[in-house]
Amino acid sequence: MLVSKEEIEHVAKLMRIDLDDHTVHIDRVQKMIEYFDILDKAGTESEELIINEQPLENLREDKYEPYGDKLIDKLKHYKEKFVRAPKMV
Amino acid sequence: MNLGISALDYIEAIKNGEFTVEEFVSETFDQIKKVDGKLHAYLSLNDKALDQAKELDKKRKAKEKIGSCMGMPIAIKDNICVKGAKTTCASKMLEKYTAPFDATVIARLRKQDALFIGKTNLDEFAMGTTTEFSVYGPSKNPWNQEYVPGGSSGGSAVAVSALESVVSLGSDTGGSVRNPASFCSIVGLKPTYGLVSRYGLISYANSIEQIGPMARTVKDTAFLLNVISGIDPNDNTTIDNHGEDYLKNIDSGIDGKKIGIISEMVGKGTDNTVSSATKKALAKFEDLGAKCEEIPIDMVDYSVASYYTITSTEAGSNLARYDNLRYGFDFDLEGYEFNSYISKARRSFGPEVTRRLIIGGFVPSAGHAGKYFLKALKVKSRLTKEINAAFKKVDFLVAPTVPILPFKFGEKLDDPVAMFLIDFNTVTANLTGKPAISVPFEISNGLPIGIQIIADSMQEKSLFQAAYALESTTNLPKVPL
Amino acid sequence: MTKIGLEIHCQLTKLESKLFCSCKADYRGFEPNTNICPVCVGLPGSLPRLNKKAIEKATVIAMALNCQTPQKIAFFRKNYFYPDLPKNFQITQLNIYGPTSIGQEGKISVEGKEIQIRRIQLEEDPGRLIYEGSSERTQITLVDYNRAGTPLVEIVTEPDFENPKQVRLFLNILSDLLENLGVSDPSLEGAMRADANVSIEGGSKVEIKNINSFYDLEKALHFELTRQQSLAERKIEIIQETRHWDDKRKITISARSKEEEEDYRYFLEGDIPWVKIDSKTVERLKEGMPESISSKKIRYENYGIPTQVADILSSEKYFSDFFQKYLDYSNLVINKKLGVPNNFNEIEEFDKKYHSFAKEGANIITTDLMGLLDNKEKRNASKLTAEHLSDLVNAILENKITRHSSKTVLQTMVKTGKPISEIISEFALEQVSDDAILSTMIDEVIKEESKAVEEAKLNPEAINYLVGKVMKKTKGQADPTLTLNLLKKKIS
Repeated sequence: MLVSKEEIEHVAKLMRIDLDDHTVHIDRVQKMIEYFDILDKAGTESEELIINEQPLENLREDKYEPYGDKLIDKLKHYKEKFVRAPKMV
Repeated sequence: MNLGISALDYIEAIKNGEFTVEEFVSETFDQIKKVDGKLHAYLSLNDKALDQAKELDKKRKAKEKIGSCMGMPIAIKDNICVKGAKTTCASKMLEKYTAPFDATVIARLRKQDALFIGKTNLDEFAMGTTTEFSVYGPSKNPWNQEYVPGGSSGGSAVAVSALESVVSLGSDTGGSVRNPASFCSIVGLKPTYGLVSRYGLISYANSIEQIGPMARTVKDTAFLLNVISGIDPNDNTTIDNHGEDYLKNIDSGIDGKKIGIISEMVGKGTDNTVSSATKKALAKFEDLGAKCEEIPIDMVDYSVASYYTITSTEAGSNLARYDNLRYGFDFDLEGYEFNSYISKARRSFGPEVTRRLIIGGFVPSAGHAGKYFLKALKVKSRLTKEINAAFKKVDFLVAPTVPILPFKFGEKLDDPVAMFLIDFNTVTANLTGKPAISVPFEISNGLPIGIQIIADSMQEKSLFQAAYALESTTNLPKVPL
Repeated sequence: MTKIGLEIHCQLTKLESKLFCSCKADYRGFEPNTNICPVCVGLPGSLPRLNKKAIEKATVIAMALNCQTPQKIAFFRKNYFYPDLPKNFQITQLNIYGPTSIGQEGKISVEGKEIQIRRIQLEEDPGRLIYEGSSERTQITLVDYNRAGTPLVEIVTEPDFENPKQVRLFLNILSDLLENLGVSDPSLEGAMRADANVSIEGGSKVEIKNINSFYDLEKALHFELTRQQSLAERKIEIIQETRHWDDKRKITISARSKEEEEDYRYFLEGDIPWVKIDSKTVERLKEGMPESISSKKIRYENYGIPTQVADILSSEKYFSDFFQKYLDYSNLVINKKLGVPNNFNEIEEFDKKYHSFAKEGANIITTDLMGLLDNKEKRNASKLTAEHLSDLVNAILENKITRHSSKTVLQTMVKTGKPISEIISEFALEQVSDDAILSTMIDEVIKEESKAVEEAKLNPEAINYLVGKVMKKTKGQADPTLTLNLLKKKIS
């Protein structure tokens, strides 16, 4: 199934990637997705999923352990206190 | 000094005082200076390595307790976090990123006195099979520099192959350890999912990938696994292996074992040279007392489509955090609104990552999950059942690691489906969580061919025995440097 | 018909650590971005480490809300971009692969009306955005990740509420219940938040988001219902949309249509294998659950505590916990006094005594103590112990002091923590039950109040006035029963 150019552009936008002049990607993405059509032939519709499990006992005990380093210094920071974000409007 | 020494012999030599860590490391850096300009295995080097080497030598002289990896030079793929070292994933996105913590595997190696030489090249965020998608340019195959070294852990394979390190770590999401190991004629293991902690491995497709050891010998690979494997409270998906020693009885042989050849992996699409090498390998196995039979695994034909659907979906989510707000590269946010800023920042992803992220937004989306993502998961489950059934009949499954020989740069770049199919023989182990190893078997017209052996979950010990047995039948030429 | 459904977010503030890392669960009081680590700011290579107790406590909430709890718990990723979300996805739960969230299909009764609970899920709280700068032009967005990863339980109800009053009652019950379970302190700012969906007869469903307190929730519902009704009256179609609650202007505003294109691409969180909850665990959690408010209330009523008092006492966790400690201690006191009962009569006698302690204690707590300790600071500063209260009640029951003086004693205990004997002698509060002393006092009153005495002879009710006068003379320390008897004798 060929996915339309518009749809790919739309998804790129949702994934927050400017495509602008990157239209060369579109043809290639179309080909890649088209290859996935082979999955229709696998005949696995009724297959149950196998999922990894773990016992409750494996989980972390609820204990407060402060992180030793001042991590904000190692991030892009604003006045050594905050991370700054662009305008939200 | 023999830079081609095995890790186990090296550690013995250091302990016996035959030479010092400083001497060896210094010579290793000379080698890097000599060859890496052309080969480009490394993205960054540990500038404190010589000081650390001296410290280790002092420790030995003072008869302090020394670790099992005493002074062992190791190269680390640049998607594994080493505290205080730049960790770029070969992406502009993490151009300025320094990891503030050690990955669990790094902490374990550090504790055993391993010596980190540097961070190695990869396809951006480990998406690729040639290193051509590294934003810093590709690595070259030491066997023939016009050829790709394989990927995505290409730099780690080149470093070991070209004597720029004794051993290395890679990561394997769909063959990224085994493929370059095969192309560069070294040994590479993809462990059972959960055997090695992923804490500190920068996720690409977290549900199927593993960090894997790479070395010039099977024994060194087993030794490395001893150090890095085992349960980790920082990774909920890890399994307890009760401190298994993978080196012990590695020479037990494979007399009486049963080997299955996956029909789909030796059929159409397999290069003739690779085919005949595989046949020779099977003959060797039979000489060693194993019994070989062909086993069809129906789902293998759908495995690559399943693999790319699942990995793209997970990548789409795992790489969402790269919005350049908390870390990344320099790009002023003044004048931008949130969405326009991050959309512009995320243009810094290279072409292959960009494409896979778009696919990763498409295949699990509300309107398409049923056709793509859910079907991919179901293929993965059925494939697992088929492989489990196969292991009721045989001890190992064998196939060429890569169905084709190493190829020249640019040769496959234009055809995405051709690139998909390079992974045809390796993704099954990832989708099913099974351990798989690539063993160098032949050099054909100067190009390496590796044989892949797959074992059942947590059967690394017998997997190494089979790999060691196969390795013992070979006598391969030295890399032409 | 009006239909209201709720999505209530409740932080598990009583946990020590966050949902996926060891930073502090209750981030309040930290300087910005000092309660963070590689996991909760989503640094490359970090992985979630699920908090065992968060699973247990959330399961206990599900049980208390009469939900089905699953044998396997799964986590999913909800993918969307927002600066308060360090990974740009939220780890949460839903039921696309069968019932794998913490709980489902629960119910809770609100004044006879049954409210169905659709689902309870455990998820991570995002960080907080702070806007700095005075005007819109100079405004900048800052992010504090201290809150990121705080364990959050989301309770989703069916649209079963018919009016805002039911919503308020439900939320009161819910916050009492959560407090009683010891999982959360609902009084902390932002610990409980809610989204609502509202529709009236013939109209589409409207979602209201951004409501940061239960107080505002009721206001938002009233506003939204009025808005919808006025549209309906004017025959304007009510469209399906998401509206935001504007905290400052106290109105709901249509959210820009951007959210409609949001596709969360839910899929399984591979870093967290499904968590198996076996029946032994379920049993253990059930056994460890504190007594529910309603069964507490019934128990209090069985002691003979009046319904209204039982109601207030059972729903106030601080005081009912204190009351229980008081009962446990009084039990020992009675045992000491009466010996361990070993026949029917002795048991009856014991119960009678125990019930008197319960009634008197409950009375003092609800009429006096709740007023004295009406905020957290006062509670923290209070020096009153369960032993104190038991001694006080004992003194009242043994007529050593009057109920009237008990107020002074209680106040002093709260303030100083001194033992009762010391307080009684310090304030000379010993009850006057000496016949001779009382007799002279009564004679004085009879002399002074001759008119009232005459009246009391005709109307026995009027004698209470004279008792009051005697009490006044003794500063409330006269034994009331004794005074009455003496008065009666002297008048007749």
